[in-house]
Amino acid sequence: MSATTKIAVHSLSDLKNTTDDALPNYLHSLKFKQVHKQTDIRLALGYTAVIIAGALFYFDWKFGWEKSKPYTAPAVIAYFLLNTAFSYWLWFVESGTVYEGEGKTGKIRIATWTKKHIPVYECDVFFTPAPTESNPPQKIRIRTPFTRWFTADGYFIAKPFQQWLASEVPVIGAADPNNVVEEIGRGSETERVLNVTGNNAIDILEQLKASGAKAAPGSGRRRKA
Amino acid sequence: MQPRQLATQILNFALVLSTAFMLWKGLSVATDSPSPIVVVLSGSMEPAFQRGDLLFLWNRGMNTSVGEVVVYNVKGKDIPIVHRVVRRHGGGKSPLRLLTKGDNNAADDTELYATGQSFLNRKEDVIGSVVGYIPFVGYVTILLSEYPWLKQAMLGIMGLMVVLQRE
Repeated sequence: MSATTKIAVHSLSDLKNTTDDALPNYLHSLKFKQVHKQTDIRLALGYTAVIIAGALFYFDWKFGWEKSKPYTAPAVIAYFLLNTAFSYWLWFVESGTVYEGEGKTGKIRIATWTKKHIPVYECDVFFTPAPTESNPPQKIRIRTPFTRWFTADGYFIAKPFQQWLASEVPVIGAADPNNVVEEIGRGSETERVLNVTGNNAIDILEQLKASGAKAAPGSGRRRKA
Repeated sequence: MQPRQLATQILNFALVLSTAFMLWKGLSVATDSPSPIVVVLSGSMEPAFQRGDLLFLWNRGMNTSVGEVVVYNVKGKDIPIVHRVVRRHGGGKSPLRLLTKGDNNAADDTELYATGQSFLNRKEDVIGSVVGYIPFVGYVTILLSEYPWLKQAMLGIMGLMVVLQRE
């Protein structure tokens, strides 16, 4: 599930886009079903405007200015109204939405953005826990540095990303309890793997030995006393 | 790629083109001229206008007077000509007719007009009078019309940029 392609870690848009693309993958693995209503409305507004412009272009090219003149003004007005509605929808209604969906544990909509030159993933999560009819919609704002799920050489690691989402967002956490970790930033799978390597075991043995050596004189003192 | 993502990127490209076209048409409606901005293609109006000057036209108020610079299309030729009005006939109830001449030309435009035509019909032939200009910036379009492959190259690059770019 982790993206295998390498990205340039200093490109903020690469970081954001890769993460955005990972969002639906993860949520779909939790049996969330994507809702495309917002995207579809935006596409409908945009394509209607483009079709009007295309029709006017064809009419003008085929019949000339004099014939198309009566239709030009209404077409121009309609086009710019639709274009305004399109922009309004994009900026104020969708405003960065990368995923909207529904699962067994509730509804969710996630909007993401980054601030210029700051490698921090900012999310607004709107969610309604199941049963969605009786629960009020909630909103949380969460943010975390991209370093949490990108390696230094630019590979996306899915596990810490999923753990972060599952821990922060109740609806996702309820759908994926295995990824909920108590302390943020400590429950990463990669770190857990590191803890059982041979080097670590030797370290622990050394520490045990050292403490044992200290304990011996201590007990000696006690004996003296 | 997902169909909606593809549709979004195609839409972005289409919106760039259609917005440019509709702005042009909006300007056409406002000025009542089929071609509200033209580029001077010849030196026949020097020193008033040079090749490559960008002219802004206005086509409301049909009472054109002598001395105004108008842009007209000759029937059967599709290149607009920018010349100065040197004589006018009619007006009022009868259709206004104009004779034009390039400032830099020795003779008036009678020879440029369609065969059998010795005057311009203000309403039918003229697409606007010049109300403003920006020197030289129109030279790009002269290059584009003289080297047509530049047009395709530019369109291709524009399209590629819109498709490849995210944000």
